Amino acid sequence: MKTLSYLVIVSLSLGFSINSQAASIYAGQSKAAAICAQCHGIRSPSAEAPFPPLAGRDEEYLESALKQYRDKTRISEIMNNIAGSLSDRDINNIASYYSRLKP
Amino acid sequence: MELTITTLKKSILAASIALLFGSGQALAKSDDPHKMHQLYQDNCASCHGADHGGYLAPALNSETLKGRSPTALRTLIMTGSFETLMPPFFGRLSDKNIREMVKHLQTTPKLDNPPWTIKDMKASLKVYVKDESKLPNKPNFKIDSMDDIIGVAARGKYGRGQGSEAVFINSKTHTIIGKVPTVTAAHIIDFDPANERWAYVKTDTAEIYKVDLYTMRAVRSIKTGWNGPGMGISRDGKYIMAGSFVPHNAVILDAETLEPLKIFELEGIDPDGKKVSSDSGMIIGTPYADIFAIALENAGQVWVVDLKDGFPVTKIKNVGRHLHDAFLTHKGKKLMVASYDDSIVTAIDLEKRQIIKKLKAGCVPHVGGGAAVKVDGRTLGFGTNFGTCEKTVVSVWDLDKMQLVKQIPVSGGTESPAAHANAPYVAVDIITKDRRARTVQLIDKKSLEVVKTLDVGGHAYFPEYSADGKFLYISAGYAGDEVIVYDSNSLKKTANIQMESPAGIFSRGRVKYMTRGLSPDEME
Repeated sequence: MKTLSYLVIVSLSLGFSINSQAASIYAGQSKAAAICAQCHGIRSPSAEAPFPPLAGRDEEYLESALKQYRDKTRISEIMNNIAGSLSDRDINNIASYYSRLKP
Repeated sequence: MELTITTLKKSILAASIALLFGSGQALAKSDDPHKMHQLYQDNCASCHGADHGGYLAPALNSETLKGRSPTALRTLIMTGSFETLMPPFFGRLSDKNIREMVKHLQTTPKLDNPPWTIKDMKASLKVYVKDESKLPNKPNFKIDSMDDIIGVAARGKYGRGQGSEAVFINSKTHTIIGKVPTVTAAHIIDFDPANERWAYVKTDTAEIYKVDLYTMRAVRSIKTGWNGPGMGISRDGKYIMAGSFVPHNAVILDAETLEPLKIFELEGIDPDGKKVSSDSGMIIGTPYADIFAIALENAGQVWVVDLKDGFPVTKIKNVGRHLHDAFLTHKGKKLMVASYDDSIVTAIDLEKRQIIKKLKAGCVPHVGGGAAVKVDGRTLGFGTNFGTCEKTVVSVWDLDKMQLVKQIPVSGGTESPAAHANAPYVAVDIITKDRRARTVQLIDKKSLEVVKTLDVGGHAYFPEYSADGKFLYISAGYAGDEVIVYDSNSLKKTANIQMESPAGIFSRGRVKYMTRGLSPDEME
């Protein structure tokens, strides 16, 4: 079982790392500033905010989480709506930008 | 192109959120008005006004919100408003509370000037350091000169909490020396002109903190009202004057103890002959005399208060319609006051206590801390303008002749000019709410033309030069969460300093040059 999930993760990460080569960090920055940063901040969310930080988080994690929120396989009233407007490319760009940012 | 897409996506986003949250949910009843009033005071009042009458942010009451969709208001509270200071309350307030708040706001009229008396002020006085004589007599950090200190009013994302603090920076090394928590958003920082160790920080909920810069901590605080940024310090450092939007009063404090000495009710006959109760606009001490000048926003009057027995007041009337901020010139004898509604800046002679002249400004003039520079024998004043009429300009006046020299076209509304005797450019922050808000434009002192636009990021505002003029500090506020430092000549990015929602930037150098851009010699 463990081996299987490991394989899945590895193959996913390979897939994503090919994608992220094409990702535009600039486009990700612009999207992040316009949408995500409102709650999650750029380098860190407000000390008072109940939202998790995104800067420096694992790129694949960010990407899969955003897709799950978008596809409603992971339920959050607010995130399902916000991620619902994002394309694969947007998600790719945003994950690429935030993962490379130092918190 | 990116801008269009972003805007489109944002509207889709807003619409889809509105749709979801609007799915046939009944309005909750706000069963406990006292609880809702407290919730409003604890979360909304620092920006929207303790009287529901608006302050930095729009008025929220039964009149202004009439006919607005409760669903749209609920969405706005949950997600916050993009490109403004309005934060997302999702996760901070329960859904039930947000619904109740919408109901509360739509049924509450603007409150009638809620009182904050001298008794309330005295009761609010807090002492953090009992014996100030035991504090060390020099700074506990390394700095060439205390004038190198720059203070930044960090608002904190929610206008309160851990992110709300006055952040003090060494403007030669661009490192943070100290942070003084202010509970609610810091707005104004004034430095004692007579004793380098003291600074005073005023918050949006009208608390004043007396700060010991040597040890970087607050020694005392007092709450002077509900809301209002107005604060000035006398040239001898003995008095503080603070003014409020809510309620309509001002107070003189003993600067050493922060004890209130006299309250002034702000009311008068406005230029249209109507008796009005008035918000407090700018308050300023001047290096030329032991006085304070205070602008009564709605009454259109400037009062000059003599710092002697009984604090007598001389009223200068008909200064303009809806006054706001001001700056000093001519060794502090002349005061340039911005008047929003008639788009003028009125020059006042503080010696003769009369109006010199009303000068044409741009639309809705907001001069911030103002700027004045000496160029080719002339003293030129620079005035920024909030409004966006058909053209947006920065006004330049000859302050000796008191006449308009030029209106320089800039790319949007502006809030605050920065200048320094040793720096080649006057910096103005563009605040128009689109991509332009990321920028600061630089005006060449000699040619009086915009020569460069800096893309700072965030919502860039409140530029300020370091005391030596070598560096330009700019707040990338709102989502930016950092202060960015540029080399004043090469305009290369030199440093960035993290903090939560930075706004006003105040150099201690200001006490030397009175108005930004003038050389310290002007003061002699």
